[in-house]
Amino acid sequence: MEKDNLLEISDLTVQYNTDDAVVHAVNHFNLNLVRGEARGLVGETGAGKTTLALSILRLLPERVGEVVGGSIRYNGEELLTLPEAEMLPLRGKKISMIFQDPMTSLNPTHTVGDQILEVLDLHFPEMTKAEKAARVDEMMTLVGIPPERKGSFPHEFSGGMKQRIVIAMALVAEPELLLADEPTTALDVTIQAQILELMRQLKEKFNTSVMLITHDLGVVAQFCDSVSVVYAGRVVESGPVEAVFERKANHPYTAGLFNCIPDLNDNQPRLRPIPGHMADPRVVHEGCCFADRCEFATDRCRKEPPVMHTCGDHGILCHLYENKEEF
Amino acid sequence: MATPLVETRNLKKYFKTGKGMLHAVEDVNLKIYPGKTLGVVGESGCGKSTLGRTILRLHQATSGEVLYNGENILQYKKKDMKKIHLNMQMVFQDPYSSLDPRMSVHNLIAEPVQVCGILKNKAEINEHVRDIMEMCGLPADHANLYPHELDGGLRQRVGLARAMAVSPKFIVCDEPVSALDVSIQAQILNLLMDLQEQRGLSYMFVTHDLCVVKHISDEIMVMYMGQTVEYAKTEELFAHPLHPYTRALLQAVPTIDLSQRNRERITLKGEVTSPIDPAPGCRFAPRCPYATERCRQDVPLKEVAPGHLVACCACSE
Repeated sequence: MEKDNLLEISDLTVQYNTDDAVVHAVNHFNLNLVRGEARGLVGETGAGKTTLALSILRLLPERVGEVVGGSIRYNGEELLTLPEAEMLPLRGKKISMIFQDPMTSLNPTHTVGDQILEVLDLHFPEMTKAEKAARVDEMMTLVGIPPERKGSFPHEFSGGMKQRIVIAMALVAEPELLLADEPTTALDVTIQAQILELMRQLKEKFNTSVMLITHDLGVVAQFCDSVSVVYAGRVVESGPVEAVFERKANHPYTAGLFNCIPDLNDNQPRLRPIPGHMADPRVVHEGCCFADRCEFATDRCRKEPPVMHTCGDHGILCHLYENKEEF
Repeated sequence: MATPLVETRNLKKYFKTGKGMLHAVEDVNLKIYPGKTLGVVGESGCGKSTLGRTILRLHQATSGEVLYNGENILQYKKKDMKKIHLNMQMVFQDPYSSLDPRMSVHNLIAEPVQVCGILKNKAEINEHVRDIMEMCGLPADHANLYPHELDGGLRQRVGLARAMAVSPKFIVCDEPVSALDVSIQAQILNLLMDLQEQRGLSYMFVTHDLCVVKHISDEIMVMYMGQTVEYAKTEELFAHPLHPYTRALLQAVPTIDLSQRNRERITLKGEVTSPIDPAPGCRFAPRCPYATERCRQDVPLKEVAPGHLVACCACSE
């Protein structure tokens, strides 16, 4: 290994065993996250992005969510078999998560200062009270909220400010890995720009690796170094942002996503939506999971699952790229 | 120039709150012509949804006029309003909460027809519902399904079918695609544009998404805290955005264009201030990088180029 991988996910398969059916949420998922890198995880609703993040933190719903196979290695250490007691110091300290909805991820009955402090209480018992208080103040200043407001409750803040508090909570322990699940989806564009800028600064400051889960390709283009496109629980394309957004060679699904977005700099009279609907996660596909919606699909695509074809760091999971040396 | 289908004159909507008067919509003047789309853009809380609802009289306006085909509908009695609602309909933002979960798709679409009393005969209603479903791209075998069995895109089609069922001329679309995935969003946008072309519909398209608004609108109105800050033809607005708020909004949009990466951008500081009893003067001034002493006085909308209005003392000179 030449690259310093912080997180290596290989062949991860997660399913939800519900009363009605088995839902295959994540299928043979592969991802490497280099230290200090920001990777975008793009996909539509139901693609399995959040399930993946929850699997890394081992927060899947008990009894229902089940990791069927594969491995998640963090700093070379297998997380899936780690005893819960050893998982606790990782969770929130080394790996932390920003949840999608700032309105519901804060506790309404505690002040925001106490909620940031709680992280320190849990993970840094050796710190004195004064040190912790100073650290909370510092963190609040860093995210742009005056420390005088630490005695306020979440309902006294606007959406953008709540998200800043959530970011302060996630970063106060200076984690190595930040899982950000749609951190700006619920916010207005001007506030989104502020939050992304803030995350970019904090990432540089603490050299944090970020996995940014989003459905917005624009956010990925502006914030991330590399990107993995997820469809039906699989990575169908991954690579450096430059290679993927060049739009010269893409998985048909990624190309379809690009065609769906009305672009500010381009005048297209009609959008070209991807036909059909998201693949049913209860069905196991014999061939390619995207074949039903793909305009290039052949009989082979429906029978034989494609493998990842790579050119440098850019990989595409599609039969079309089988014999191409360069793309 | 043709008469506008829908026009507002100095439309105001205030809400009484415990802390004072909330100025949700302040002196809005707009004109929507037959077969055209007006995009209304702004951030949450800027009054764009309230404006749409006030035009349809789902909120009672505080003062001002709403003209439909030149007649002030704010004076209409309930009975006359019912007739007007045959021409003016609305599509709501959240397809998950705007449909009655206990009604089937067929009943949901038949309801407005029955309420407005357009068709009485059951067979006629059934045929009409079938036509509307086909028009909105809903498969005929979905008629007996319930909303929870549909995904977001299909639900939004049902919401649109309900509006289309009474054959309106004007539809207020309140963030109709915000809750949808991009691939579904594109389907709904195409459907809206097809219907407009086939039936000469006029839309007022309320959204926070500048890419979407650019795609669908003929004219755009940018709102900030209840006031119109800029109003222009779509190409003109994107080619020459003047108001500092419009420019900041445009810069804040993350685009898939990599050349825009790492460029210097004006990020707006702070957040929207309270719309309760706002101080006179430009409401954007507290966040505006160019604000001066002059901005404390009221800034009227001025026409700086034909059809291009802007409310800013710095850029209207």
